Amino acid sequence: MGRPRVIVIGAGSTGAATAHDLALRGVDVVVVERGEVASGTTGRNHCLLHSGGRYCVTDDEAGIECIDENLALRRIMPDLLELNDGLFVATTEEDLAYKDAFLEACARCHIPARELEPDRARQLEPFLTPDVLAAVQVPDGVFEPYRFCLAFLATAQANGAQVRTFTEVVDLDSTNGYVTGVTVVDRLTGRTDTLGADLVINAGGPWAEHLASMAEVDVPVSPTPGVMVTMGRRLNNMVINRLNVPSDGDIVVPQRTTSIIGTTSWSVDDPDHIPIPADHVTRMLDRGRDLLPEIAAASIRGVMAVARPLISKPGVDARLVSRTFECFDHKADGVEGFVTISGGKTTTARAMAEKVADIVCGKLGVDAPCRTTDIPLVDHRRFHARS
Amino acid sequence: MTITATLEVFRCGPGGTDRRFEEHEVTVHDDATVLDAIEAVWARHDRSLTFRHACHHASCGTCGILVNGVEALPCIADLSEALRQRSPVRVEPLRNLPLAGDLTVDVAGFFDRMRASTMTITRTAEDRLPIPTDGGDLRARPVEVADGLARFNRFENCVECGICISACPTMATDDRFRGPAMLAALARARVETDDPQERERLLDLADGEHGVWRCHGAWECTTRCPQQVDPAESIMQQRRDLLRRRLRGRVR
Repeated sequence: MGRPRVIVIGAGSTGAATAHDLALRGVDVVVVERGEVASGTTGRNHCLLHSGGRYCVTDDEAGIECIDENLALRRIMPDLLELNDGLFVATTEEDLAYKDAFLEACARCHIPARELEPDRARQLEPFLTPDVLAAVQVPDGVFEPYRFCLAFLATAQANGAQVRTFTEVVDLDSTNGYVTGVTVVDRLTGRTDTLGADLVINAGGPWAEHLASMAEVDVPVSPTPGVMVTMGRRLNNMVINRLNVPSDGDIVVPQRTTSIIGTTSWSVDDPDHIPIPADHVTRMLDRGRDLLPEIAAASIRGVMAVARPLISKPGVDARLVSRTFECFDHKADGVEGFVTISGGKTTTARAMAEKVADIVCGKLGVDAPCRTTDIPLVDHRRFHARS
Repeated sequence: MTITATLEVFRCGPGGTDRRFEEHEVTVHDDATVLDAIEAVWARHDRSLTFRHACHHASCGTCGILVNGVEALPCIADLSEALRQRSPVRVEPLRNLPLAGDLTVDVAGFFDRMRASTMTITRTAEDRLPIPTDGGDLRARPVEVADGLARFNRFENCVECGICISACPTMATDDRFRGPAMLAALARARVETDDPQERERLLDLADGEHGVWRCHGAWECTTRCPQQVDPAESIMQQRRDLLRRRLRGRVR
């Protein structure tokens, strides 16, 4: 019997890391993506390599996932990370009152953290507000989402995976309740193909619900966009976070010659069409200025918004929905050979891939352990290059 | 507030056949980018349109095209401004790279050259927090006080968008020319390495008939670069370095 074949739908961070994990385990992988790599949610994320500090007070699980994956990514993609740390900054008495809970949560989630004197924080970050009352340093970082995906996919290709971009899934093929492959349209050639598979993984992010509907099953994904504003100047060295519960405009991520303020949160029905509310942009600028007043003197370079694929919980506000991930084996819905992985964030893409690959390998009888925490990824440029 | 714009979009069939322009009228918010308008064409009019995009803030470099005949990253190109220049706004694929489909070019050859340059995206990381890890390379050192904003920037500025290749008149006449992106990357990699032999090897790669000497000095790469990488100055600097090396060889 030959190697089992798995089709992964979606070349965002989850699909890319899943393809890499499965290819390492000896599975024959085909990735299909309707556009360019990372042209969906992943490409437009905040570029933040989470330490877990953002979530640890209210969500231990997400905090621990983040720091564990932060350390794993430092091992496997050191050339693609800007390891500049992050500062959680208190500017109000309310923020200050949050500090002890934050430090306790960091300790609980094994996130390295140390308090800096306000003067020291201002020395390290000259544009930081003079109103800083306290600051805590944590191992946040920065990555480029597109190249993050390219590195996983290039490594998957080196291990035999095929990646087909501009290839849109228009139908899931099934026989007697068993998904047997996908029907795709190659947008560059115009050709329609049927690709057979032993199992199909739905890594479609906020489009996962649409893909699942092709198999007449449901996944509880809530497309939840956020607006980010990129300034035309770099105003901070470290990632600057507000020391408080997550809210709008409480992070400024530095990248190259820019600083990116984010983010808001609301819900949409159609992740393909997200008009950016003007008041969200204004709010980002106002809130960003609270942390870095020099933002007032900088120009806007870009404004972006894309839907996060949050796992929806009835009656729970989107801001409070856990940033952890879930894997759905649709055998529970009466459909075999079809698995959805959703939720999470790019920092935890490798862990999401490990979870779904464990389930898939179990279903396919592939007896191979996950090795993705230790295998360094190849040069991201190999994805596109011929040589 | 919204605006209505007509886009004149380059389209082609498989293998670059049946080349034509198609007009599409879209209504988008009034501070939309050209990329927002292209996405609206795709989302509401024609799902078969192929174009590349990812970050939407000029960081990934994938979306480079011609807007009204000039190279641009449409994710930061203001649609209203483009409309003032020309209506309908014309969008086309980059020049001097093989056409793959519609607004999409084949970047394989471009990335072959970028790989050969050995330039890394991140510079050597500076001091950082103590992190509990077994990895020797990742073991931490104390954080130091920053002495200026320039050293904060640890990602290389080149986003590998191919705009300099498209804008380069030399590339249009010599497809073996290494091109401004690779030549700038070679210069950058040479600054980053401490190995004298590697420095010489990288300078050798910039040399030759299809290297820095082939450049006509049009400076279009630097003019069009969305990231102020200044490839033309890198080319001229490497010419100066090569001349010095040759002169040193004669003195010996």
